[in-house]
Amino acid sequence: MATDKELSDFLEHVERRAFKQAVYAVRKDEAALDIVQDAMIKLAEKYGDKPAAELPMLFQRILQTTILDYFRREKVRNTWVTLFSGLARQGSDEEDFDILASYEAEQGSSAAESSADQVERAQTLRVIENEVQKLPSRQREAFLMRYWQDMDVAETAEAMGCSEGSVKTHCSRATHTLAAALKAKGLRL
Amino acid sequence: MNTDDIDLAYKVRHLLNEQLDTLPDATTSRLAAARTAALARKKADAPARSHKPAGARTFFGLDVGALFSSTGLGRIAVAVPLFALVAGLAGVYHQEQKQHIADLAELDAAVLSDELPLTAYLDDGFNAYLASQKRAQ
Repeated sequence: MATDKELSDFLEHVERRAFKQAVYAVRKDEAALDIVQDAMIKLAEKYGDKPAAELPMLFQRILQTTILDYFRREKVRNTWVTLFSGLARQGSDEEDFDILASYEAEQGSSAAESSADQVERAQTLRVIENEVQKLPSRQREAFLMRYWQDMDVAETAEAMGCSEGSVKTHCSRATHTLAAALKAKGLRL
Repeated sequence: MNTDDIDLAYKVRHLLNEQLDTLPDATTSRLAAARTAALARKKADAPARSHKPAGARTFFGLDVGALFSSTGLGRIAVAVPLFALVAGLAGVYHQEQKQHIADLAELDAAVLSDELPLTAYLDDGFNAYLASQKRAQ
């Protein structure tokens, strides 16, 4: 059974990555923040008494479900908005907001690197983030859970509700796609 | 996946991790607030929950949610009056049925023990005779 401290430490450990994971999926950081908050609350309310070892898998499952719920709500909302296209245009500035557009300015904070290095690094990161966003959702989920969230194949499979073989296939395809995209842009890691 | 693929995956991971430290303050503080809110609503460890849930059900000011709580006492408090109500309704129904049967039996007995045959009550002339007798009295 996870103690309050274990749960707090776990949430603190995963919150930033969960936020970026949600941003990659929904491409709006306000919505991503709401999604992460909902996922955290659901985890604490429903599974707060579970052992600490089960929390990563449970949290990932809740996060993916919350992202799916968001897309379902957006679909319903867009149906109505389409009917009143004039109203939809008013909110279009916000709709088109891209986390990557604002991200560029934040990269210049590191003083240790030269300007050229910083620019190159920022460019590489932008490309990677862009390519991660472009991945098919299942491939992105598998790749991020497996290599970013430190989950093993079995945990990832359980969180995604698929077989371990599918997880390996998704990860392999995602890696190949990323490698091909970086190569096409002349970037080497 | 071969070694190159895994190597690439971990390099991507390293780069993605780097940018986590440069998240805007507004985002990190919002995440911290979300964490605090989640911890405040953590599921209780002990089976008996002392706090009242946010959406407690009430009925005319009575806390119905507390009645349906998982404690043994709460369950008994609901079960005993329910059992008494069901037993009472069954008793009333049984008594009504008995009374109805007794009424029918009394009526049957009265009809069968009468000096007049049953067919007399179906005779319109006899009914007219009884009516005229009443008027004459």
